[in-house]
Amino acid sequence: MSRKFLETDGPAWVAEGLITEEQRQKLLARYPHQAQALGLLPLLGSVLVGLSALSVVAANWQALPDVLRLALMLGSLTGAYAAGAYFLRRGNPDLGHGLIGLGLILFGASIILTSQIYQLVGYDVSGLVAWVVAGVALSYVYGSRLLVLLTVLIGAAVQTYCVQALGSFSYATALMVAGGMGYYWWRRPDAVSSTVLATGLLWQAGLLIAVLHAKITWFFVPAMAIYAAGDWQPHRVGGRSLQVPPLVAAYLFMFGLATFGETDTYANVLRPPLLPYLGALGAVLALSVAGKRARGRFDTLLDWLLLLPGFYLPGGLPLAVATLVVLYAHAGSVLVRAHRQEDPNQLTIGAILFVAATMVAYFKLTWAFLDKSLFFLLGGVLLLGLSWYLRRRNAQVLAASATPERPSPPAESTSNP
Amino acid sequence: MRDLLTWFSDPARRRPLFRFLVAAQVLYVLGVAGAGYATSALGQSVILTTTPIDPRDLLYGDFVRLRYTISEAPMALWRDAASAPSRRQAVFVLLAPGPDSVSTAVGVYPKAPKAGPNQAVLRGWVTNVYRKSFALRFNLERYYVPEGSGLRLEKAGRQRPLKVRVSIAPWGQARIAKVEETPKAPKPRP
Repeated sequence: MSRKFLETDGPAWVAEGLITEEQRQKLLARYPHQAQALGLLPLLGSVLVGLSALSVVAANWQALPDVLRLALMLGSLTGAYAAGAYFLRRGNPDLGHGLIGLGLILFGASIILTSQIYQLVGYDVSGLVAWVVAGVALSYVYGSRLLVLLTVLIGAAVQTYCVQALGSFSYATALMVAGGMGYYWWRRPDAVSSTVLATGLLWQAGLLIAVLHAKITWFFVPAMAIYAAGDWQPHRVGGRSLQVPPLVAAYLFMFGLATFGETDTYANVLRPPLLPYLGALGAVLALSVAGKRARGRFDTLLDWLLLLPGFYLPGGLPLAVATLVVLYAHAGSVLVRAHRQEDPNQLTIGAILFVAATMVAYFKLTWAFLDKSLFFLLGGVLLLGLSWYLRRRNAQVLAASATPERPSPPAESTSNP
Repeated sequence: MRDLLTWFSDPARRRPLFRFLVAAQVLYVLGVAGAGYATSALGQSVILTTTPIDPRDLLYGDFVRLRYTISEAPMALWRDAASAPSRRQAVFVLLAPGPDSVSTAVGVYPKAPKAGPNQAVLRGWVTNVYRKSFALRFNLERYYVPEGSGLRLEKAGRQRPLKVRVSIAPWGQARIAKVEETPKAPKPRP
């Protein structure tokens, strides 16, 4: 409970007789003012001093002798690390990990600047792979979320540089991030880090597809491999967090297909050879299903609806209708799951997905109004039926298990639209 | 060792591991510097010329993009009867100095050739294959310039070829040692 909440609502509680004034004071004393703002001032001050020093060095960088430049870089590198270790020992993990992260950034900067001094940079990426290795090792040693985020970010940046400047994909970088940070995720599936890791890996997968000049739909094979890894994760929340980015990507793609699929202009960009593509995606699906089975998570199986390769259908109305049906079915599956788990957040997401699909259907399809009307009637009836069925089932379940330890049913305000 | 992560994050091991990691990073940066220094100290020096290129492309941030006369080789220089050059293939360019001390390519080999006296071998990669020639890169296409001199080099490079002194280390690494403007228009070479 935040102190601010107590301060604003407390007097009303006293007035209503919920608590006495004495109790309110006791509660307030329990949540003291945090000295965060005060602690921030020296930090901001030192950042400014640091920036000033940085500017002086940057302005004279080219004029400095090589040895001095090297000494400056290594000095700040070891300085940042030493300060980080010092603050960790003093019991200030935020500042400590922040400084170690700064040291890691300085390591990359040192590699780049040293290569520039000696005209070695350009096409040599082995130096930058060492940067990723250092990030992975530091994440392992300190297990800090900040370092994990930084390492994933560094991996993505190095890969982007490789692809953009050199036109080649660094498999070493991809393996380092997927293997090194993947193993970390497997042992410590923290929700935020999982989503960041998946996003970073998706970014690299996208770059790989771009470098190979492959059809963009191949992207979903590595993306869903990441998803399948989430199915095998013993920790449910961590696994699900890893699955969010691939699912968002698949949904956006399906949404785009529904929006622009009526014209056939995109077909050539989208259609990879049928058998290899379906084979690869099928293998990933099998892996995912096996994982869901092993961990008892079949309720998320309908996520795979988004991966139905509708783009093999001839463009035009068949494709548009097929993708719409898939979008509706997916939204429905999210709603059903939300109801079953009594999860209001999921319910909101499902409702939003449903409205989005309806908007596409209404604004994009060049149907006659009668067709539209029939389509919406069908959709509305389906949804009403679903809602009726779910409520009935809920009531039955509640009636059957009227045990005291069961949490009370959520308010009816969470019923679907 | 039960699992890698617990091994790494064991508090008793944290301090020595951290010290090792920091030392490794410092040594790595020193190694990069050392490799750069050793390449020019121990390496063989050759002079290459650039071809004028699109000036918009030349100055790119704080480095100058260079394009060498040897960056495009006629197919006649390819020294492998068995197969044609393919994209991304690593190759070795045999360089020999001409009368004006500028080196030119005398052959492009898929395997390192034996260099004669005065000759040098430069590593390169095939970037493109055309019908009668193929394009190469040498990781020497960027020259980081001291502030301000980039514009001067750009101007010079647009009008005349630049002379680039390259050091090639015995272990194959190459780096630019110096970029000079040619004093006057060079004689056209055959």
